Amino acid sequence: MTPTNPSDSEGRTSSGRPPRQLAPAEQQEVTRLCVESAVMLMQHGAESALVETVARRLGEALGVERIEVAIMANAITLTSLHEGRCITTVRRNQDHGINMHVVTEVQRAMLEAEEGRLGCADYRTRLAAIRPYRYPRWLVALAIGLSCACFARLAGADLTSCAVVFVASSAAMAVRQLVAAFHFNPLVTFFVSAFVATSITGWAAILRIGATPRPAMAASVLLLVPGFPLINSVADMVKGYINTGISRGMMAILLSLATCGGILLAMTVWRVWGWL
Amino acid sequence: MMHVMISLIQDMILAAIPAVGFALVFNVPPRALVYCAAGGAIGHGVRMLLMQAGVPIEIGTLLVASLVSFLGVYFAQKLRAHPKVFTVAAMIPMIPGVPLFTTLLAIVEIQRKGYTPELFSTALSSGLKAGFIVGALAVGLAMPGLLYYRRRPIV
Repeated sequence: MTPTNPSDSEGRTSSGRPPRQLAPAEQQEVTRLCVESAVMLMQHGAESALVETVARRLGEALGVERIEVAIMANAITLTSLHEGRCITTVRRNQDHGINMHVVTEVQRAMLEAEEGRLGCADYRTRLAAIRPYRYPRWLVALAIGLSCACFARLAGADLTSCAVVFVASSAAMAVRQLVAAFHFNPLVTFFVSAFVATSITGWAAILRIGATPRPAMAASVLLLVPGFPLINSVADMVKGYINTGISRGMMAILLSLATCGGILLAMTVWRVWGWL
Repeated sequence: MMHVMISLIQDMILAAIPAVGFALVFNVPPRALVYCAAGGAIGHGVRMLLMQAGVPIEIGTLLVASLVSFLGVYFAQKLRAHPKVFTVAAMIPMIPGVPLFTTLLAIVEIQRKGYTPELFSTALSSGLKAGFIVGALAVGLAMPGLLYYRRRPIV
């Protein structure tokens, strides 16, 4: 945290390697690679500590003396320092949804660069070749239906109610994927999905399908709990990234509020009450 | 004893399925899915045992989140990926979703129908429960970094 790093005067990087000769253009390319990797991690749901570590280690592996990163909720500022020369660049961070496959691939590329197996040009090709892996939408919808049915079972619902939850949550997940594919705001997506899920379990309660309508109504919307942002939010704050932690946490609460809006609308429209 | 075993196995299976289901939403690489299932089953199962032994849910959550996280470090090094890639999905069955939504719905109800002590106490108690459990999960997952990998990366 001290402004002057003692290792600088000795002309060594913090990883202990002697500095490589880097032309300004090469340093610029390293800076860009670092910030692009950092933004990719941030966009796909990595926690701030990981984003900063990967950017720093990558820069040092590619021969820059030091990398400094400032992470904000929707932008990343990155500076590389080399032989008294600073290059600073900023990238906007647009959320692309959680994708652990991308996080894994970026980190593996960084590890290979660190082991000396990837140079600048190879790393650039490797980064450009990362295509976000996505599971088939029907598979995800069915798996989420099954997951929420398990939650209902854990909460003590009978098997008929679990089947209702399976249908409701699968439908809600399919609607969520469909609405998200049209690039609606996530808040709208969550609102609509919660309405669909609660409408189905609500009608099951009206038609007396299943003996335990209340756990069913509660479990059917659990696919909309923003669990990953909530955990990331606390993890960021614990590790000192209060800013990103607060904004992730606030977004998670807003998404939950949108979900509650959908639940309340469905319960009001169909005149069925399953909460509180 | 037999009864405990059966309910434990049932609990572990019912937790492993959502862990994998949500791992698909988070696009966890296929090779890591089995770690999500194992983490979810171990976490939820051990927490059930702890709660039956009288441990409060927050403390139990903290303990099992740390346990899964330390196991995750081992598999992360084998997989060459950050442990969060699969440990967060393993924590999903323990996320307090119902208390979270109960809190927010109670707050909206207070706004719609006016203050009642019952609604307020529901909002407060389930909100605190949700907050503390989420905190326990996140701190538990950060435990290897806080205790052991302080100045060096896990992977």
